[in-house]
Amino acid sequence: MNITKKMTALVLATLMGMSVMTGCGVANEESKKDENADTGKKVLIFGDTTFNAENEEANINPHDTYCGWPCVRYGVGETLFKFSENMELEPWVAESYENIDDNTWKITIKDGVTFSNGKTCDAQAVKDCFEHLVEVHERAAGDLDIASMEADGNVLTITTNSTKPTLINYLCDPYGCIIDEESSEENGVVVGTGPFVATEVVTDDHVNLVKNENYWNGDVKLDEVKVITISDGDTLALALQNGDIDAAYGMAYASYPLFENDDFVFTSTATSRAFYCQMNYNSPVIKDDAVRKAIAMGIDKEGFVNTLLNGYGYVGKGAFPETFSFGGQNVKSESYDPEGAKKVLEDAGWVDSDGDGIREKDGQTLTIRWISYPSRQELPLLAESAQATLKDIGIDVQLNVTADHGTIVAEKDGWDVYAAAFVTCGIGDPMYFFTTHCLDTSSKNRGGYHSDNIQTLADEMNATYDVKKRGDIAVEMQQEILDDNAFIFCSFLRMSMISKSNLTGLKAWPCDYYEITADLDIE
Amino acid sequence: MKFVIKRLLQLIPILFAITFLSFAMMRIAGSDVVEQKMLNTGQVVSEAQLNAAKAQLGLDKPFLVQYGIWLTKLLHGDMGESYVSGKNVFDTFIEKLPATLFLTVVSIFLTVIISIPLGVVAAINQNKFLDYFIRFFSFLGNSMPNFFVSLLLMYVLGIKLKLFPIISKDASLSTVAMPAITLAIAMSAKYLRQVRATVLDELSKDYIIGAKARGVRFSATLWFSVMRASLVTIITLLALSIGSLLGGTAIVESIFMWDGVGKLAVDAINMRDYPIIQAYVMWMAIIYISVNLVTDLSYRLLDPRIRLEER
Amino acid sequence: MGRNVNRNIKIRIIVFTILALMLVLSAIFADKLCPFDPYQQDLNLAYSAPGLSHIMGTDAYGRDMFSRVIMGSRASILSTLALVGIIAGIGTLIGTICGYFGGLIDSIMMRISDLCLAFPGLVFALAVAAILGGGILNAVLALAVISWPKYSRVARSSTLSIKGTDFVQAAQVTGGSSVYIIFKHIIPNIAGPILVTAMLDIGTMMMELAGLSFLGLGAQPPIAEWGSMMSNGRSMLQTYPWVVLSPGIAIFISVVVFNLLGDTIRDYIDPKMVD
Repeated sequence: MNITKKMTALVLATLMGMSVMTGCGVANEESKKDENADTGKKVLIFGDTTFNAENEEANINPHDTYCGWPCVRYGVGETLFKFSENMELEPWVAESYENIDDNTWKITIKDGVTFSNGKTCDAQAVKDCFEHLVEVHERAAGDLDIASMEADGNVLTITTNSTKPTLINYLCDPYGCIIDEESSEENGVVVGTGPFVATEVVTDDHVNLVKNENYWNGDVKLDEVKVITISDGDTLALALQNGDIDAAYGMAYASYPLFENDDFVFTSTATSRAFYCQMNYNSPVIKDDAVRKAIAMGIDKEGFVNTLLNGYGYVGKGAFPETFSFGGQNVKSESYDPEGAKKVLEDAGWVDSDGDGIREKDGQTLTIRWISYPSRQELPLLAESAQATLKDIGIDVQLNVTADHGTIVAEKDGWDVYAAAFVTCGIGDPMYFFTTHCLDTSSKNRGGYHSDNIQTLADEMNATYDVKKRGDIAVEMQQEILDDNAFIFCSFLRMSMISKSNLTGLKAWPCDYYEITADLDIE
Repeated sequence: MKFVIKRLLQLIPILFAITFLSFAMMRIAGSDVVEQKMLNTGQVVSEAQLNAAKAQLGLDKPFLVQYGIWLTKLLHGDMGESYVSGKNVFDTFIEKLPATLFLTVVSIFLTVIISIPLGVVAAINQNKFLDYFIRFFSFLGNSMPNFFVSLLLMYVLGIKLKLFPIISKDASLSTVAMPAITLAIAMSAKYLRQVRATVLDELSKDYIIGAKARGVRFSATLWFSVMRASLVTIITLLALSIGSLLGGTAIVESIFMWDGVGKLAVDAINMRDYPIIQAYVMWMAIIYISVNLVTDLSYRLLDPRIRLEER
Repeated sequence: MGRNVNRNIKIRIIVFTILALMLVLSAIFADKLCPFDPYQQDLNLAYSAPGLSHIMGTDAYGRDMFSRVIMGSRASILSTLALVGIIAGIGTLIGTICGYFGGLIDSIMMRISDLCLAFPGLVFALAVAAILGGGILNAVLALAVISWPKYSRVARSSTLSIKGTDFVQAAQVTGGSSVYIIFKHIIPNIAGPILVTAMLDIGTMMMELAGLSFLGLGAQPPIAEWGSMMSNGRSMLQTYPWVVLSPGIAIFISVVVFNLLGDTIRDYIDPKMVD
């Protein structure tokens, strides 16, 4: 009996020990928070799913792959102009621009813009920055096609090799963040003109930012920002609920209902990030017009957006959302019509002769290989939803949703349909999508799509400077690719950020470039 | 001492085999390493460029020669670069290793302080209520997959009770708690049954009965011999389960976003980042056999009977 | 008293065998038992709470969870049984041959099994799955590669211990072929420990298989499999808990049943054996 008592005591002591130990941990955590409260510092902890190497955002140096995104998002760098809510250009570091002739642009930098190290940001500094950019960044070099630059005080004159009607728009891509070339360090910590200064950058983990005391454009309200990478959407939700973070970007849709209450606020906006399917013309099955048409008619876009995305999205029609003047409202595309799709296939000779629910033609079964990837949470949902609705019309869909999608799609005949996400109008001009996806020379024309009409229209567009007219051509081009069913635009992202309700000033922008700004404040 | 040297010598072929197997496995999988690497950087490459790059990396040489080159580099701590981040694999691995070791050590500690007392209590109360009660919970703990336990802990301890932070960005006692408890639950469930069995065995031995008869205070006897016996059991089990523990951390780390080598490996597998996977497999194997070696040696210190048997 | 205990164990074996058989049968006849097509989506019914028509509710795609859980037993239970069957079979055969013949075969096979044991289990499985890619079959293969040595160890040591016994030597003297002796005399006599090892392994293997699927290295969507169903439903734990809990409880119950059966069989065959 004595033993039992002793042992019980031992167990209790152990359990107590454990709780003391864990209790200490909690206490430590709390005392940390108190410290912050004592010093009166305003610290924002921001959880983000995107800042990682997989996403080509390994650091915040805009001259490195897609690292310009975190640079501008986290308020370190700023571009010459910024995009308004209607994706129109507004002055930012630069005051104005002038199109001298087809190949020459004159840009005037604002007076009094300084880098966070106090150095003045004049035309020469911008020139140095761009020179380095086009030297090391292939995509930027191709987009900008700069022949020469001249700096004179606050005026920068850029001459391009070819006609570049959208040069200014391209300069507002995140890679166009102005950084101080002279003080840029190796490890990706760059000096920009933004409201925050990066003090520590650790790939896949976090970026520490402090207030830029020398900010040229007003007062910065927050003292410190810590952006932490949480690649997993579920963990992100739990962290926000638990109070580990103050705001979140990239929350899983299924978690949204958890935050639809007074403790949290949403900020949402329509973006041009399209979830689309690209058809592989190298595949004999897909080459069949009827099959492409049937696939376009067999995807339940409304159900996908309203149910699987909890309504946080916009049903896609054309390549651009309806917020643009040249958006999907101007075009006709196939809508969900299973009966119609069945008829299209029937008429083309695809019939289910062996009664297994899948159609065949000339001894070949109607099977399509659907390639996609999981890092955009919408894509697996789209894949599984499409698989079921297409099966209803007699198409067997084999899914391969893998991070390794690049290798598979690079093989000419390893796939049939590629579902991906792409910002179709990231720089406010429609040509970008067509240049990257629809031309014979396009790098992302993975399926070998070719249309004479598109080629001609593209040439016309490249020589057109009038914005209205460019929009008209864009509508024509969209209709062309939709008539061919070469692309299916399923939905557009309604980008949302969720924060605790005491955080003010957080705003979602259609271009998705601006997140952490001088206006952010904690009350 | 002779034994120690013998054991160390035995390690050499095993180490060779491990490195060879890791190398061969990843060669089979990542046969087109170069192509993969170039695709990942988003370049369009020609056949000639490809061959040049292959030659530069020595991929045109015979397999065994490649292995030799790789092994030499390995001995200098060079395991190549990650396809995804472009960083040195060895450095990345070493950087993440402490977090995993910390998690492992804490969960082993928890396991020991849970399973020994509970096992002893169950044994002393054999076939009484407390025994059944403890065994019932050990059974439950043994039948729950660790990812299920993780989710439940996250929900109950993290969200409902707000005891622990959800994300574990820095390794501290409060952040390690939930992943460590997850790992400890399954292990303690298994161990406490073994401890119970050992104690029962020990209690039925003649010397204990004899000691009782002589009027030696029961508790003193029990403490001394029973604890030593159960410690041997625990160490044996730890050695046996260190493998499943190291593997188990992979799942738990990726659920709790614990920034250790397990999460690193799972991410690498998803990204087909072969150099990282290779480093992970190889180093885990090396750690594993080293732990086994240490266990073997520590037995002999703790239990003189084993030393006698060897003779 | 001993007889009483024995009877008790027998009753327990019968009860747990029936329970286990029920699980296996429901896995085999899953397609007949499902009230709905487990793959039929109906977005209008998405996230229905458990009720009369859908007793476990529906998931994000409006698929009936109960049907998916039943269908999932195929991927989970049947693959596990197949896995354990394969490794027990191959492992025993190798172990018996090594134990019976000894010599070079023995050394080679035991070194290979040493090597397999040198890699921590799941770590090696992760690597194998990484090479082979996702898929339930690949996950089974990955676990098989790392798990057979356990059986060959048990079989080898049991074979060694009965090799010298009179009846085996008698069989050798009367000119029985080695194959005959192995299958007729040795394997039946070492079946006990192998069976116990295998029964106790089922629960563990089921959890490891589900674990691989949970990490996305096992069953691929839309295949109904408990591990991947839980992984896909993770984000709904708070909002639509039935999507996660149904497959979770299914795994739990199955593992419990097979573990109970394993424990009881062990008690019956060898009360002293330690797992």
